Amino acid sequence: MSTILLVEDDPDIRELVAYKLTRGGFEVIEAADGLAALQAARQCPPHAVILDVGLPRLSGIEVCRQLRAAPATAAVPILMLTGDIRPHELEQAYAAGATDYLVKPFSPRELQRRVEAALVGVGG
Amino acid sequence: MLRVFTITIAVLIAIVALTAVAIVVVRVIRQVGQRKRAALAAGPRRQLLAFVADNGESGGAELVAIPDDAWRAAEPGALGLLGKLRGEAHLALVSVFLRRGAARAALRDLRSRSRVRRARAAQVLGDLELRQAVPELCRLLTDRYAEVRIVAVRALGRIGDPAAAWRLIASLDQAEPVPSLLATHTLVQLGPETEVTLIAALDHPQARVRAVCLDALGLLGAAGSVQRVARLLREERVLDVRVAAAVNLGRLGTRSAAEPLIDAVDPARPAVLRAAAARALGDLGAPTAVPALMRLLGDDEFRVAHEAAHALRRLGRAGLDALREVVAEERADAGDQGAHARPSSRAAHAEEALALAAITAEPELVGAR
Repeated sequence: MSTILLVEDDPDIRELVAYKLTRGGFEVIEAADGLAALQAARQCPPHAVILDVGLPRLSGIEVCRQLRAAPATAAVPILMLTGDIRPHELEQAYAAGATDYLVKPFSPRELQRRVEAALVGVGG
Repeated sequence: MLRVFTITIAVLIAIVALTAVAIVVVRVIRQVGQRKRAALAAGPRRQLLAFVADNGESGGAELVAIPDDAWRAAEPGALGLLGKLRGEAHLALVSVFLRRGAARAALRDLRSRSRVRRARAAQVLGDLELRQAVPELCRLLTDRYAEVRIVAVRALGRIGDPAAAWRLIASLDQAEPVPSLLATHTLVQLGPETEVTLIAALDHPQARVRAVCLDALGLLGAAGSVQRVARLLREERVLDVRVAAAVNLGRLGTRSAAEPLIDAVDPARPAVLRAAAARALGDLGAPTAVPALMRLLGDDEFRVAHEAAHALRRLGRAGLDALREVVAEERADAGDQGAHARPSSRAAHAEEALALAAITAEPELVGAR
């Protein structure tokens, strides 16, 4: 069973995505801010990460950068969730090492498909 | 005297004690109420999440059948969820709200005396993307309260009915209009069908309205508006609007936009317009602009020369070759004059643009000699 680290500060979205992915056969670890996400990733390196861009305590971009710098998560697919499609923000996300992005509001089904596609891409 | 003092102190202590008890009681009642609502909402919330996660494939009838008190407790969370979803999940949730009469209630609340209720109702109707609500939401564009007007504009953008464009544009001509950026963003959300309305609004007497419409046309990429925008660039009285016309001709990106922009960099035009037009020529990517931009490199205004150099950089091979030519000429002149020659500002701008190109541009362009 693949483990997904879900980092999202909005409890509605977190609960919804966790529910959807659990139903889809994934194990989901939840984190509500950037520092908690890094700690969770260190304790149990996930197979993929869903990462909100605007997070409290440490931004999603910075979390992405630090995950890429750590050997255990350097090759893990990271799907960014963003509230806006500002080219500058996307550029930053890709430069930090994001694999893919999804704009909010989003479709839960599309999110699950993207996660599955990212895992297939790394042979997960 | 002592007795009066004692009674006064006793009364004060009693008042303080009663107040403290009242505060505690109110807090307890509030907490109990919150817990009760949370417990009442827990069941419907689980059902809602399951329904949305499954894209509304099952469980809709159960949600519609939830008793009113439990739905009322869960409704704020459900409304929050509505704005965060798209696709089938969003449509499914909207259908539940419609079947529960949320649209009817929100339409009624748009005429409420309370501005909070009006704004909340506008947001709900926007999240429901309910086209029937557009005329009523347009009425709120002239609401007394700015917060209500802003929520109404956002809701209209979310619904995306181009029929709202003219009312939105008209509402910009009032004492305290919504921010220009929000109006532009919303007009873009209303889609390319607003192009005719936006072009017509370029004749509006208010400069701010004309500038907003220019930005919306540029962001929509409304290629059919090039001739009208070019005319505004030539004939407009207000400089800010002319600058907006130049910027948006660059965004429109058609070949016919090059000529009016080259005309706008003429030395007789104001510096701010020349700078905007130079930048727009770079956005346009028209190699025919190279000679005009080369002339601007020697402009007395720093900003104009700077924009011209970076516009040349963004033109690609033709622009980069022109910049290299300027630097090479400068080096040849310096060789003739000996080591004490100072670089001209023209060459300095060209070198700066080339240095940035070396960092950002494609290697085969930078390496081309």
